[in-house]
Amino acid sequence: MNPIRDSMKNIRATEELKQNTLQYLYEQEKRDCRTRTRLGVVRRLALAAVSILLLVGIGGYSVYRQPVSYISVDVNPSIELSVNRFGRVVSTEAFNNGGRDIAERVPLRNLPYMQAIGRLLEDESCLGFLREDSILVFTVVSDQAEKMIKELNASELLKSHGALTYTSDASCMHEAHQHQMSFGKYRTYLELLKYDGSVTIDDCHSMTMGEMRDKIDACAHEGEWNTGEEKHNHGKGHECND
Amino acid sequence: MRSAEEINFAMEAYADMVRRICFVHLKNRDDTEDVFQNVYMKYMLYEGSFESYEHEKAWFAKVTINACTDWLRYFSRRKWVPLEVISEEKEGIDDRSGEILEVVLQLPEKYRNVIYLHYYEGYSAVEIAGILGRKENTIYTWLARAKELLRERLGGEWV
Repeated sequence: MNPIRDSMKNIRATEELKQNTLQYLYEQEKRDCRTRTRLGVVRRLALAAVSILLLVGIGGYSVYRQPVSYISVDVNPSIELSVNRFGRVVSTEAFNNGGRDIAERVPLRNLPYMQAIGRLLEDESCLGFLREDSILVFTVVSDQAEKMIKELNASELLKSHGALTYTSDASCMHEAHQHQMSFGKYRTYLELLKYDGSVTIDDCHSMTMGEMRDKIDACAHEGEWNTGEEKHNHGKGHECND
Repeated sequence: MRSAEEINFAMEAYADMVRRICFVHLKNRDDTEDVFQNVYMKYMLYEGSFESYEHEKAWFAKVTINACTDWLRYFSRRKWVPLEVISEEKEGIDDRSGEILEVVLQLPEKYRNVIYLHYYEGYSAVEIAGILGRKENTIYTWLARAKELLRERLGGEWV
């Protein structure tokens, strides 16, 4: 318990304060541009580019903040990254205590998603969960899923962790959130359900991705069921609601 | 000059900390907005590089504290009334928190800094010494005195 910390936790920078500050910086930068008359062409172009970027960042802030793709990162902690049309993380959502601790500790917003994933996996709070028997799973919901999966699979960092990659869809994501579960874990639950009809969402809430994958593999080896699943890296996998 | 990307990232990563440091120093929201903007302006114009996220965060803490001190020294004529500052934030502060904050805000400025950096941001005395440009022993002394004052005014159970 830390009463000093608790007493200040609700004192935060409002969106209005952030917006006003970005606007102020943009105006200062613009005024600065007008007063400089002897700038070289390259420098002028660079400043113009910054102005345009700032303008986009301010004027198009709602566009910037609008997610168009989603990446679910699951080990035992489950975190979803919402990614905008520029490939940057605009928000994160954690679905269990481990995920919440990591999301609070590691700032990921505004980073390109591959950089954000790198920062996430290299943070010591996450490394604690990445043991030898852990399974790291990335699930993507996006119109650009194929491209994103390709990029994920090309990452040396993900390869070093033996990460699995899958695609899913918006309806699966919606169902997952109704069960307070990340859509990556939910996709794995649906896969397990095909092998073992008795497994419940509650069972899966308390299982790690490694435990769920072990169960799926065990059932598969017993030859109870076989499917032409699509998986993008190692092992087996399939798309949710396919 | 920093890129829009860096500014957007810094806004998301450090805005709350900058806001809280302003809160423990300044007298109202208008002052806070001015200092908040000055801090980010300094960041936009800063041409040095940062070794890590922690390095950048400590830079923001140091620059904000200095900006608040300068603001109070050169621009502000208003009297410091902690209750007014707290009442501006009342939506997010319950009675117990309000009581603690009132005591914290009545501490001398140097104690407010160490209390915030130590108890809220979790910095060690050595790190605070680096941020405030003081000797470690000075920070240990300030922390001990600040804790003693809080204990006197809030009772022994506050920490």
